[in-house]
Amino acid sequence: MLEVSNLNAFYGNIHVLWDISFTVKEAEIFALIGANGAGKSTLLRAISGLLLPASGTITFLGQRIDHLSSNEIVELGLSHIPEGRKLFTEMSVRENLEMGAYTKPAWVQKAETLKWVYEIFPILKEREKQLASTLSGGEQQMLAMGRGLMSRPKLCIIDEPSNGLAPRLVLEVFKVIKSLRDQDITILLVEQNVKHTLETADRACVLENGRLALDGTCQQLLDSEHIRKAYLGL
Amino acid sequence: MPESIVNILDIAIGGLLLGGIYALIAMGMSLQYGVARVLNFSHGEFIMVGAFSTLTLYTVVGINPLICLVIIGPVIFLIGFLLHRTLFHQLSLRAPNADAYAASSILASFGLLFIIQNLALLGWGADYQAYTYLNFGVSIGGAIFSANKLVILGFSIGIGLIFYIFLARTRTGKGIRAAAQDPATASLMGVNINRVLALCFGFGAAMAGIAGVLYSMRIPLNPAMGTQYTIIAIIVIVLGGLGSIPGAFIGGLILGIIGEVVTSIDPSLSMAAYYFIFMLLLLVRPKGIFGK
Repeated sequence: MLEVSNLNAFYGNIHVLWDISFTVKEAEIFALIGANGAGKSTLLRAISGLLLPASGTITFLGQRIDHLSSNEIVELGLSHIPEGRKLFTEMSVRENLEMGAYTKPAWVQKAETLKWVYEIFPILKEREKQLASTLSGGEQQMLAMGRGLMSRPKLCIIDEPSNGLAPRLVLEVFKVIKSLRDQDITILLVEQNVKHTLETADRACVLENGRLALDGTCQQLLDSEHIRKAYLGL
Repeated sequence: MPESIVNILDIAIGGLLLGGIYALIAMGMSLQYGVARVLNFSHGEFIMVGAFSTLTLYTVVGINPLICLVIIGPVIFLIGFLLHRTLFHQLSLRAPNADAYAASSILASFGLLFIIQNLALLGWGADYQAYTYLNFGVSIGGAIFSANKLVILGFSIGIGLIFYIFLARTRTGKGIRAAAQDPATASLMGVNINRVLALCFGFGAAMAGIAGVLYSMRIPLNPAMGTQYTIIAIIVIVLGGLGSIPGAFIGGLILGIIGEVVTSIDPSLSMAAYYFIFMLLLLVRPKGIFGK
């Protein structure tokens, strides 16, 4: 579904991503793990068109997307739920969700999609008319995810959804992510919560200092000595 | 009615009339600055071009100024849209960061100011010119207002309201608001940022142009007339709160009333009063009425 090969990217003069290659298969949860500053968010920004890669290719559903802009990429069915929610705080919950359906095909069916999103996150319906800035942290994460789903994506990139949430809400978020996969939405998940992530995802890769250090099924990674030492503290 | 009450009513309605024009001009500038991030010092020149085009279309071709509105508005919108697409978009691609773009776009807008003014001098000459339209009196509660003043106020408020509804209700309007808050996230939602910025620049220019069409019924025209309106627009958007469209609208009405009160005392003091308010605001409440 998504194929990244030999990707290199810079922030100004700093070489942030080095020769990254991996493939995300249809209807799986593929996790990207790594420490702060390993380049995870940069990689996601390059995939969704917020950052122009220096070299390498990104192919989504058989089409090169590495030189498309973000608004063209979301129209192809790739939704990026950014780190730190990035809600439109001066808009209502409902308007934030409508913004998620901004592409023309999604806009046409937004009433129907809205029902589906409200089924996944019933609290958003209750909060419909409130300004996004008045929501609690957990509700804001739900809104960010709901907004990302409004474009009816085939692939959903979710960056650090559990960041800053209480343990109970973290479980909730992971449950929703699993249920999305069960509805055939492919997930590319970035997380610092390595244990939960490896227990939820199907396959994963590890990013260290801008390079791909390891990849494989989650079971393989859970069994890896390096992962157990460096990320799970075992 | 006693004369003093008639006087107060006269000043209040007169202030709203002036304020309607200020509101329109300031909303245009607020769109260009708040969304497209261009502090456009040539804003007033679009007013001047709108005003002179109306004069020519009316006195030479014989087209009614209110019909001119639907011709000149869209033409100036298109000019603004294309200006952003070519000049300002190219500048933003060449600027290493937002601060560099703020500087280069201000300089470019100064350049535009001189180019447009000089072209207007070539085309229309340096003399003051005027025409009269709907210049008969209408009585409201004992005070007499010329009909064109009332038409100007009606159109300014109408256009302000229509634009507000456009921003609040339509898909493109929501896209503009989202882009104003967070351009990168808006583009992740599918908003074509470059198109939205050019749209906002075009809408801003069109509002100035429309203000020019309307105000040309009231005042003598001259190619250098625009600059003072640019200054007034900057004062109004600071008064209303930078980037706030309702703030620009209400700020415009407030400044219009202040202007009319000061003018009733001494007409030559109105610009001085505006600057005084401007400096007071910067010192006391720099975020303006609706600012965050």
